[in-house]
Amino acid sequence: MNTGVPSSSEAAPLVLSQDVHQRIGTLTRQLHDSLSGLGLTDKVKIWAGEIPDAKSRLTYIARLTGEAAEKVLNNVDQAKAQHDFIAAETRRIGALIVKDPVAAVAKGHVMNFITDVEEATKHIDKNLTDIMMAQDFHDLTGQVISKVVNLAASIEQQLVQLLIFTAPTEAVNKPVETPAASPAATFVVHEHPVLQGPVVNPEANPDVVKGQSEVDDLLASLGF
Amino acid sequence: MANDLKFLVVDDFSTMRRIVRNLLKEIGYSEADEAEDGVVALNKLRNSSFDFVVSDINMPNMNGFQLLNEIKKDDKLKHLPVLMVTAEARKEDIVLAAQQGAAGYIVKPFTKATLEDKVNLILSKLGMK
Repeated sequence: MNTGVPSSSEAAPLVLSQDVHQRIGTLTRQLHDSLSGLGLTDKVKIWAGEIPDAKSRLTYIARLTGEAAEKVLNNVDQAKAQHDFIAAETRRIGALIVKDPVAAVAKGHVMNFITDVEEATKHIDKNLTDIMMAQDFHDLTGQVISKVVNLAASIEQQLVQLLIFTAPTEAVNKPVETPAASPAATFVVHEHPVLQGPVVNPEANPDVVKGQSEVDDLLASLGF
Repeated sequence: MANDLKFLVVDDFSTMRRIVRNLLKEIGYSEADEAEDGVVALNKLRNSSFDFVVSDINMPNMNGFQLLNEIKKDDKLKHLPVLMVTAEARKEDIVLAAQQGAAGYIVKPFTKATLEDKVNLILSKLGMK
């Protein structure tokens, strides 16, 4: 690799290393001063704390969407099995009626068929309700995505400020082309700042309830 | 009688409004309208007749707490039972909702049985069922 340093000099790598360290030190100092000058030091500390939170939120989204997909597929499998059963039973009872209608009724085949179909449709109805309920992930993940997008937008905004603050004068004076709005920028973020949204890790937070039974207990303790 | 009750479902996510409406229909309440935030809900409540409000909390423009507050301040609306259905699971939010006059509180995700239990319990307490 061409380092730009004459290879004949034995002291050169050491000089280069010291130079690089000095430059990194200078850059770090400049960055620190710039962050302090912009009042961003505290914000950087907050970002550092929020990145793991954003990671856990994204993990929550992955888990919730995965569970929803699994629930839908399981219910579709069960509903299809019930549907196949109804189809097969309909063919069987049809054949019996064609063969001997009186015997089909007299021996109870028709009545049994009606009972079985009614039972199967109840199962299918439950499967359809469960499939519908599985779609609640859209609401829950949507709220969590809003929070992560907020964080990304905040960091982006502060970094742009930092860039402008530290850029050479000629670059600052140059007209800046505004890029087209990114999907993240156009994402509708409309959460109330004091509200928390879905709890991604209830076990780690004693201030939140872990399910409906805890809500009921809390309300009961208040006399509701 | 109870099956004629008219519900207003308030949630900023259309998927959730649809789910709640479908569930209400399944448990016997087919009369329901929707609103995507507190402002729209309040407008509908003041211009039409409703018997029950099912509301989310975290919404734009006017959140569920603000809506609840407006309903309870309004002499014509304060009798309306308001059931909060929300992902807000902080104990202080649940206590606040109760103090502000919510008739019930359900945390998302919830089940059909939970919604049915809470709606029927509230209606029974109010002598509407």
